[in-house]
Amino acid sequence: MPPLFRIAPQSPRPRVLAALVLTGHLGLSMAQGLPRPEAWEAGVVLDVASSSQALALGARDKGLGLGHSDLLVRGPLGQHLSAEANVGLHTQDRQLEAHIENAWLQTRSLPAGLQARAGRFASQIGYLNEQHPHADDFSERPLLYRALLGGHWYDDGLRLNWTAPTPFYLRLGAEVFKGKQLVPQAPAISGAGARTLNLKVGDDLGESSSWQWGLSRVDNRRVTEVAAHEPDAADHDHAHAASYSGRRMWVSDLVWKWAPQGNNRQQQLRLSWELAEISGIHRDADPSLRHRASTLAAVWRLNPSWELGLRSDWLRVQQAENDAGTVHVAAGRLREHAIMLAYKPTHMQTLRLQLTQQRAHGANDEGAPVFANPARRSIVLQYVISFGAHGAHSF
Amino acid sequence: MRTVFKAACWLGLALLTGHARAITVFACEPEWAALTRTLLPQATVRSATHHLQDPHHIEARPSLIAQLRNSDLAVCTGAELESAWLPTLQARAGNARVQNGQPGMFYAAEQVELIDPKKGGASAFAGDVHAQGNPHLHADPRRLLTVARALAMRLGQVSPAHKATIEQQLPQFERDLNARMAVWAQQASALKGRGVITQHATFGYVWHWLGMSVLADLEPKPGMPPTAAHLEQVLAQAKAKRPMAIVVAQHHDPKPARWLAQQLGGTTPLRVLPATVPDDQPGALLRWLDGLVSELAQTQAAAKP
Repeated sequence: MPPLFRIAPQSPRPRVLAALVLTGHLGLSMAQGLPRPEAWEAGVVLDVASSSQALALGARDKGLGLGHSDLLVRGPLGQHLSAEANVGLHTQDRQLEAHIENAWLQTRSLPAGLQARAGRFASQIGYLNEQHPHADDFSERPLLYRALLGGHWYDDGLRLNWTAPTPFYLRLGAEVFKGKQLVPQAPAISGAGARTLNLKVGDDLGESSSWQWGLSRVDNRRVTEVAAHEPDAADHDHAHAASYSGRRMWVSDLVWKWAPQGNNRQQQLRLSWELAEISGIHRDADPSLRHRASTLAAVWRLNPSWELGLRSDWLRVQQAENDAGTVHVAAGRLREHAIMLAYKPTHMQTLRLQLTQQRAHGANDEGAPVFANPARRSIVLQYVISFGAHGAHSF
Repeated sequence: MRTVFKAACWLGLALLTGHARAITVFACEPEWAALTRTLLPQATVRSATHHLQDPHHIEARPSLIAQLRNSDLAVCTGAELESAWLPTLQARAGNARVQNGQPGMFYAAEQVELIDPKKGGASAFAGDVHAQGNPHLHADPRRLLTVARALAMRLGQVSPAHKATIEQQLPQFERDLNARMAVWAQQASALKGRGVITQHATFGYVWHWLGMSVLADLEPKPGMPPTAAHLEQVLAQAKAKRPMAIVVAQHHDPKPARWLAQQLGGTTPLRVLPATVPDDQPGALLRWLDGLVSELAQTQAAAKP
């Protein structure tokens, strides 16, 4: 999908940013004992970073750029519904782009633990997909997300969730999407382009740790024609789409967090691991071929202001290429290691320094590498600041 | 024979009370769990947090979503204290009873007037400012009484079958609290006008209630961890103003307060107190307030030359 607008660097910065820097609440004192009317909230997040080198499959350009920033409004619509909308802003190839990433209604009064959502929203597959990228612990999303989900996959659709009345957390969910955001270059089809099924379970382990496991399946009906050239080249309209797709995707995500006596304000250890596999990558290719990706991250909160994180990602893809009517498949591998140090003077600000290394393997029949420009070493200095309402951050 | 009779009585009692299904209550903080247990001992009450956690910084953990999913009533502070986690829990629990505006969602801060409201909201650089005022209101027994009356009404509304019990328990709690307040007033008379160095507005209502003042705060801005430069300023203020004590909560990092106490060379005692009830036994609220007042009174008495 093309962005809402693009602004070339010489044109003035949009004034809307400053205009929307609102305070979150207008809490006037109310008559005591009466419930306060629920207020609408607005917020702005700015993510500015300077990068020494762009990463293969990365979302940040070399040099200074705006990362995933957003303008957000959310609030109640009567007793039965709540709504949220946000516009994501970032620079790509030195141009400012805006996309509507969220515009949805969700029920709050369905019985029996049921909830429905309609509109545009991020799919709840995996651990990170539904979270706002500016809340991530690293300056780029894991390779898994960048390669297989276009960074984060949001789309137009419907969701139905059921939270079970169990003593531990158990949620079953189903989503249907147009699927246009996942594989935009695919020829148009009628009906739902993508469907997901999702299971989440989680609980505490003693007073200091808690865990969550998720398993998701995506069935995708939108399949691309085989590219005649490598898709890694910056073909702009595809930049938010999955670089590698297929008919079916499985994602498993496991998160474990530990804080002494549960007081995560002072210290915390967070471990997360995600594994994804895509099958049915092309109708003319060997059906046993798979795209696979994994990410493992550990982040320590050393004290309220400092965090240190390590992340290790790998990606294996089968790149189908059309060579005069014959489909050839080239296997490519990409490994990525990142270490980051973050300073958080308040929870509304983060200053992060990150070092990332990539190594690529694999070439096609002609000897052209599948991943042409891995970053041997990339250093990013990133600053994130939020004004007004914070995004609702989940576990 | 007597044991059989006793067992039969207990069984009958259990059946009778079991008949009127006890409600399940989700308390955001342990003080509201304690108050709910006092007013309705039959309720199944679970607190989302405990006294060693900072209530501002809780994560919307899966276990808490499950807890809220299964609750008939949620009892929370409000005034943005739980703004980082409660809205997420409400959005994910799929429980219509505990949504804002429903009888099953009770906010203590809506029942009383708060101290230190910040007009005009907060900027990103002002720290964690609560525009509606200091939310740590449970440390003021007078406000606690007002909240108890409102909560009793709400409990009766959510669980009409237990109205009789609640109507018995509330006056009992009022009598107990009023009796203790007379004792505390006596104990704390010498505390009036004394100044302390503290961290965050955690005990703000205690100072307000007992007529004490805060001479300096270890946090440079609300919610911001103490910095070296700020601590040097606090040290200078402490030397000039001679506080009665340094008082921090158990969930705070003790290092800055310890450093300050050390720099002051033992002239100013350090008190690390629980910011809320540390246990879930009956009478926990009054015992906790007892502890706070007597700890402060003893500190004051010891400080006399």
